[in-house]
Amino acid sequence: MTASSERVQQACAFMVADHCFAIDADLVTEVLPGGSLSPVPLAPESIVGLLHLRGRIVPVIDMRRRLGFAAPPPSAVRTHLVLRQQDEWYSLLVDEVLDVHDYPAERIEQPAKPVGPATDAVSGVFPGPAGLVHFLDPQRIVQSLVRQRTAPFIRHGASHGG
Amino acid sequence: MGGLNDNAEFIQEFLVESTENLDQLDRDLIALEQAPADEDRLASIFRTVHTIKGNSGFFGFSKLGALTHSGEHLLGKLRDGKLSFDDRVTGSLYSMVDAVRSILQSIEATGSEGEQDFRELAQRLTAVAAGEGSAVAAKPTAAAPKPVEKPPIPAPAPSRAPALSLSVDPGAFAPEPPEVPAEKAADKSAEPPPARSATESTIRVDVGLVASILDLVGELVLARNQLRSIENIDPAMQAVVQRINAVTNALQETAVKTRLQPIEQVFSKFPRTVRDLAVACGKEVRLVIDGADTELDRTLIESIRDPLTHLVRNAVDHGIESPAIREAAGKPRAGTLSLRAFNESGQVTIEVQDDGGGIPVEAVRAKAVAKGLVAADVAATLPDEQVLQFIFAPGFSTAAAVTAVSGRGVGMDVVKTNIEAIGGTVDLQSVAGVGTTIRVRVPLTLAIMPALIIRSGSERLAIPQAAVSELVPLRPDRDGARIEGLEGAAVIRLRGRLVPVVFLDEFLGLRDGTACRDDGTVVVVRVDDHEFGIVVDGLRTAGGGSVVAATAEVASLTTIVVKPIGSLLAQAGIYAGASVLGDGRVVLILDLRGLLRAAELPPVKQPAEVSVAGGATGKTGGDDRYLVCRTAAGRRIAMPLAVVRRLEHVPANDLQSVGAKRVVRRGDVFTPVVDADGLLGSVPVLQPDTVHLVVLGETAGGVGLAVRQILDVALAESPLQTALASCGVVGSLSLGGIATEVIDIDSARAANQP
Repeated sequence: MTASSERVQQACAFMVADHCFAIDADLVTEVLPGGSLSPVPLAPESIVGLLHLRGRIVPVIDMRRRLGFAAPPPSAVRTHLVLRQQDEWYSLLVDEVLDVHDYPAERIEQPAKPVGPATDAVSGVFPGPAGLVHFLDPQRIVQSLVRQRTAPFIRHGASHGG
Repeated sequence: MGGLNDNAEFIQEFLVESTENLDQLDRDLIALEQAPADEDRLASIFRTVHTIKGNSGFFGFSKLGALTHSGEHLLGKLRDGKLSFDDRVTGSLYSMVDAVRSILQSIEATGSEGEQDFRELAQRLTAVAAGEGSAVAAKPTAAAPKPVEKPPIPAPAPSRAPALSLSVDPGAFAPEPPEVPAEKAADKSAEPPPARSATESTIRVDVGLVASILDLVGELVLARNQLRSIENIDPAMQAVVQRINAVTNALQETAVKTRLQPIEQVFSKFPRTVRDLAVACGKEVRLVIDGADTELDRTLIESIRDPLTHLVRNAVDHGIESPAIREAAGKPRAGTLSLRAFNESGQVTIEVQDDGGGIPVEAVRAKAVAKGLVAADVAATLPDEQVLQFIFAPGFSTAAAVTAVSGRGVGMDVVKTNIEAIGGTVDLQSVAGVGTTIRVRVPLTLAIMPALIIRSGSERLAIPQAAVSELVPLRPDRDGARIEGLEGAAVIRLRGRLVPVVFLDEFLGLRDGTACRDDGTVVVVRVDDHEFGIVVDGLRTAGGGSVVAATAEVASLTTIVVKPIGSLLAQAGIYAGASVLGDGRVVLILDLRGLLRAAELPPVKQPAEVSVAGGATGKTGGDDRYLVCRTAAGRRIAMPLAVVRRLEHVPANDLQSVGAKRVVRRGDVFTPVVDADGLLGSVPVLQPDTVHLVVLGETAGGVGLAVRQILDVALAESPLQTALASCGVVGSLSLGGIATEVIDIDSARAANQP
């Protein structure tokens, strides 16, 4: 393949609403099948609940909501991509987890045109054989959520995923 | 020598030990100042400095080596009697300790000794050792203590050390440096605590390791709960489950203890802080420390360090008067600052008390008016103790001049905020001319707490039990137990005062708030000085309320393991964390302070006659407040409010008989019920449909004293007349102008014993 001196970015690819995304593989601690979650009233809209992971309480971010895509069909079985970043744990609820790949760092480009309505978390794109892979900046995924103010009295579903 | 700096682990060890040694050095120097003839103390100082010097040579820290070498030289002269103690000597030794500390901090932060040059100080130490008094006297500032230049709250130096001592003997938490001969231990045993002689019985353990042990124990508790919920007929299996249960409980208790550390860790800094401050302010201060071995969760120790430092600084700077003023007032020249820590009903209380001039109430009153915190005419009528509470308002300071030490106008409000952030309280008493006492109460640990599990709509949530003062079931047909609208805000009427309420289901957006308006329960909580009610779904005691048997809403008092929910959700500000219940479900823990803020409850205008507010955080000291009740037979009785855990209203037919006793059940917790009339030796009268229970005691369930009516909370107007003691009564006193019998709490508890 390429020369060993070439910088590579190891990333875990996953699907959300028929688009391919990827995130730094070092952050991923595990992949779990989606199940019922404990809801969090008055949480930012993208946070769809809490996952109980071996004694740890992990907030779950629905990536469809986060990236501004439509809700999945009710029958869809989704997957938790559990991340750990500086002692903060959270789970990204995605449609399907693909694979961990080495991407040559210099071929990851600045995102040109937006994919989906909420593109602020996309830090780069890579032209893969099956289409564009959108690299997500984990910090930015979370940051905008913190800023996001949820109006009270919004009805929240009892559980998601499953 | 050199080239060993890659031995990061050893350097870390060296830093932790040296920092501890420096604290000891501070204490020793202060003791030596008082008793310069104490040779053992001097020998101990000499050895400590020698050890640091030896280690710094080993790791190739040359500045540290040179400095401690000069210090050792000076101490050698002192030890051999070739030099005697004076201000110059102590001043330069203190400067050396400060310099060593700053080098150690630099090593910890950057791995190197830093840019600062200490050669001048080393020269000064040598000069002092040579007895060259006049040469040094030319620089009078040289002997002045350095830390005065530091910011008001110095960064906690040793706290960052990522190790924690596990201690078998609570008095001995500082292991010896390995290279010091064993005889040192024997040498030092005569010292006050901490005796540093228990090398064999303590080990250093990484904090992360302790945290993960606690996590795993939490997991085990959960699995145990699930195991218990599985019905099993096999007696052999039941026995095993029993044992696992018992062992798990013991393990949990022990694991929590591993996180506890003596408050000594904070207190040990204060002798030096106080000494330096006293010198800087030209005051004489005697520091008395009591209860330094009181233990507290490690994370809490970190959280109280800054607030306590602030209180101590305030006491020396503003509290204690200068010697001249004290003498004029007929007080001893030296002021006394006493620090006291002790355990009290599952909490740790820390008292900072000074015998200074007290807080000038009139100055506070004037300042509060000037700052627009209160209208002038209102301020004039406020009692002094309420006026003093303005001290806690943001940016409030009565200090005439901003000194280098304190009085920058950021102070007591920050102290209060920080203490409240960890679930603690601060209260303050001050008497002009006599002194000021500040009492800080913090929970023992944040990892585990008793909580009330409630239901609101489809959700279950936990409310920290410490804040819960009362449960009031709503009955639309009865006064005092129904929601009233007051200028658009919902309130309930509780013994004459109005308590604002928030409908939790509506607030959380679960459904609109009318759902449980008529049959819900108001959980009355007290946060800081605010009392408010949280309307939740009806709490029914299990078993009794057959009407709702199908959907029995069981309120349970449970001990929960608090888990963080991460910054993402902490930002919402209404959850303090989460926990996992026995059935594996996650419950969110309400942050009552956040809820109070977010719900924007309007302040409620109280009716003209305001009764004394109840609750554990009252300002009036709490010791002479009594809860007044009427028994079913009509006797007027009272009990100290301090022993009252909570009040409950229970339908009479919810009282279940267990053998000859009656109990009321909430979840897993059985509260035994003692009839007040029975206790007093009267014939119990048949209770009406609702029984009022006054729950007493520290255990999860406590003992419920059944009475007909809760009348009031009142201040004792006379001393207790014990001559009037009789069966179940310790005496009588005047409450609200009426002679009232005071219940014998011990006999109430005893009546419940089998």
